[in-house]
Amino acid sequence: MKKKLALRPSALVGLTLLASLWLAACGDSTPTTAPATTAAATAAKTSAAPVAGTTAAAGATTVAGTPAATTTAAATGAKGGTAVVAIDSDPDTLNLGATTGYSSGDVGAKIFNGLVWLDGTFTPQPSLATSWTISDDGKTYSFKLRSGVTWHDGKPFTSDDVKFTMEEILAKYHPRTMALMKRVKSVETPDPLSVVVTLSEPYAPYLLQQTVFDSPILPKHIFTGTDILKNPASSKPIGTGPFKFVEWNRGSSIRLARNENYWEAGKPLLDGIVFQIVPQGANRSSGLETGEIDFVVDFYLQKSDVKRLESNPKLQPRRGQGTPAIDFITLNTKTAALATKEARQAVTLAVNRKRMVDQAMGGLARTGKGPFGDGFKLVYNPDTDYDKLYPYDVEKAKTLLDTAGVKAGADGSRGTLRLVYDSARPQFVSGAQLVKENLKLVGFNVELQPLERSVMIQKVFADRDFDLTFQSFSSSGDPAIGYHRLYLTNATKTQFLNASGYSNLKVDELLNKAAVTPKSEDRVKLYTEVQTILAADLPSIVLFDEEGVDFASKRLSGLWTSSDSRDRWDTVSLAKS
Amino acid sequence: MVTIKDRAIAPVAAYLEYILRRVLQAIPLLLGVVVVNFLLIQLAPGDPVTVLVGDYPAPEEYVKQVRAEYGLDKPLWERLILYLGSLLRGNLGYSFANRQPVADLIGQRLGPTLLLTLTALGLATIIGVLLGLLAARTRFRVVDSTTQVTALAGYSIPEFWLGQLLILVFAVGLGWLPSQGMRTVRSEAEGWAAVGDILTHLLLPTLALSVRYIAVISRITRASLLEVLSSDFILGTRAKGVNESRVMWVHAMRNAAAPIITVIGFNFGFLLAGSALIETVFGWPGIGRLLFDSITKRDYPVLTAILLLISITVVLANLLTDLAYALLDPRVRLGKSN
Repeated sequence: MKKKLALRPSALVGLTLLASLWLAACGDSTPTTAPATTAAATAAKTSAAPVAGTTAAAGATTVAGTPAATTTAAATGAKGGTAVVAIDSDPDTLNLGATTGYSSGDVGAKIFNGLVWLDGTFTPQPSLATSWTISDDGKTYSFKLRSGVTWHDGKPFTSDDVKFTMEEILAKYHPRTMALMKRVKSVETPDPLSVVVTLSEPYAPYLLQQTVFDSPILPKHIFTGTDILKNPASSKPIGTGPFKFVEWNRGSSIRLARNENYWEAGKPLLDGIVFQIVPQGANRSSGLETGEIDFVVDFYLQKSDVKRLESNPKLQPRRGQGTPAIDFITLNTKTAALATKEARQAVTLAVNRKRMVDQAMGGLARTGKGPFGDGFKLVYNPDTDYDKLYPYDVEKAKTLLDTAGVKAGADGSRGTLRLVYDSARPQFVSGAQLVKENLKLVGFNVELQPLERSVMIQKVFADRDFDLTFQSFSSSGDPAIGYHRLYLTNATKTQFLNASGYSNLKVDELLNKAAVTPKSEDRVKLYTEVQTILAADLPSIVLFDEEGVDFASKRLSGLWTSSDSRDRWDTVSLAKS
Repeated sequence: MVTIKDRAIAPVAAYLEYILRRVLQAIPLLLGVVVVNFLLIQLAPGDPVTVLVGDYPAPEEYVKQVRAEYGLDKPLWERLILYLGSLLRGNLGYSFANRQPVADLIGQRLGPTLLLTLTALGLATIIGVLLGLLAARTRFRVVDSTTQVTALAGYSIPEFWLGQLLILVFAVGLGWLPSQGMRTVRSEAEGWAAVGDILTHLLLPTLALSVRYIAVISRITRASLLEVLSSDFILGTRAKGVNESRVMWVHAMRNAAAPIITVIGFNFGFLLAGSALIETVFGWPGIGRLLFDSITKRDYPVLTAILLLISITVVLANLLTDLAYALLDPRVRLGKSN
């Protein structure tokens, strides 16, 4: 009996050894299958060039709509099935009118509709509004609403809902649209299916912010006279969208079911969508591999997993989908060594942006082509291309620093710079290492300060207690929405505005004018002029334009009809396994 | 006059008094825990409002509005008094990040955590004691040292890393078990199928969580047993010709049990802390993950409430340990009457 017992622990050890051997073998075998399928990824990459639209301000035109014929044709999938989509945490709320949270948007985009949705080229397409007219002066937007639309509780949708949502919810609680609503003079409802919005001055990207993410339409009959945030419908939402809310198991999942009375006949195709909350990036990837999860949007994906996932024959990648986003380093112009534009130009020359793209982003980015990247046709200007103006050049950087008066001491050092960044963002973590290495070559000692997000925000935006900081901004559909803030004068402590301390009245004037100029040709001129100034002054250095990858199970089709992969899931279908 | 009946009751009464005293002692302790936690958390750098307003520059008046809505515009001492006041009325507060009462939030998460931690503790106790027994009993040094080294390794492996490894092997590689969550979310099973579904989801996180405690318990079992087995009374029992397995299970085990129980009880608090990481790795919808999320979101009310809950659990576990102690050892049970 003793002998029998005696064998067990050693058997245990043996098993452990076997397991680790097996693991090691696994690690080797993965890359061998890679070449066959990366072709698909590359194909996806080429199809998604930087082509964000300039269509926001069409002058006095009517955009009438048959609802997006191209995209409905693309979805040939059969009905049925439940798709599992990964999100990273419980949404703060499911009241899409009171949040910009990414996971809230993910869930909410299936439950609600905006007046429009944006197609792959950021062109507004009809959603709750079937058509709209913009007045000649660019100030008045007249929307015709879709008839026969009902809320998930059966009540009819009317122009009253639109007016109420805009005035009582978006203007008061939506962190981003609140600023847009300040430009709105009045919202009128001549009849139940018409809404007329009058702006105090023209605003080029107005229509682009009428999407489900920025301006979801919520039911007046549910919210009127209540505390908007604590209303039960803020966690059990009622919308007009393709899917209805079923249940929310906090920490675990959110379940939606098909809206049988959806306004677009025959849609949606799926029986339901379940959002599974998967807190760890690594496990969102492994969930895709095991087939437990069908879809992970780029935002939730760990860049280091991309190569492995691309080699998986059961998955389809989609590269470069989504809103343009730039990653940049903001230089504190109050720091003595960074106070002159020559010094900032020297730093730009000293940072190897090509290597940054490869190392920090695994190649999933384009080196920054100017003060706003090249994600928008409006802003790309070959004359201010950073690749031409500031190619990686250590010697030139040193000379420039010497002439700027940032001289090396007896020990060869030009001083210490503190680089502050959000430690939860992998691209910042590895990018910061490279900046440290790069700037060492020109004589700066860079002190890395990886901080938790809330502490980083305090330090950078409120206290301005930094020399360099790694950040990333996105700008849905138009540079005026999210990029102007990087350079506009900012004396406040508001987070995610210009933290450099740079203030140039000419720049302010040009940017503000670009935002209210309706015609694209006129805007291009303004952007060309402002970029000439910014490319020389460099309060922030744009390092790269992100080019993320979404991953979906090959069983899913009809995805990616909108510029935001979280939107338009009514056309998505799931093949039987 | 002391009757037989009284003699039976007296120790029980003394014991009840002892329990009451222990519970009363716990109250100032818990109050201290609340105050220290409240201050520590709120004094830590980082502002919850920055998280609440999202990734986009929100107008300053909105930031002010949010700050006022959650009472974060008041001075720290005032917030502490308000918090203690509402705590006394049984109100745990309102979560900023989840826009829900804290009590509801914790209530929804308590079940999964208890399921996970109690299963892990049970598994660790059974396997740990058996391994310790094996190591103490074996005549082969190699078995003893293998158990010892395995235990040391088990104790040293970071549990989140082990969890990730288990997912790679059993979920991704072999495809035997699910990698995430407590239920298969695509199609939720019902009835007995649901129980089976939860069990398959429970397996990996339990394993990852219990390894460290298997190690601790097996080592203490071995040490404690060896000490008892070398004592004179065991020699005496053996000399009387008592059958070896009876010596082991009845005489030795009973005397070696006290330290084992102490270790199990005192480790329960660590188990809860460990579950924060394990729940995050496995997407388990419990308290531990809520704790983890609340830290990154600076959700003070939730954070303080969970820390309070953990403190209560630790105090309770210690109390239960002492009770079990008394059950095993008459000297403790009889207390001062002896």
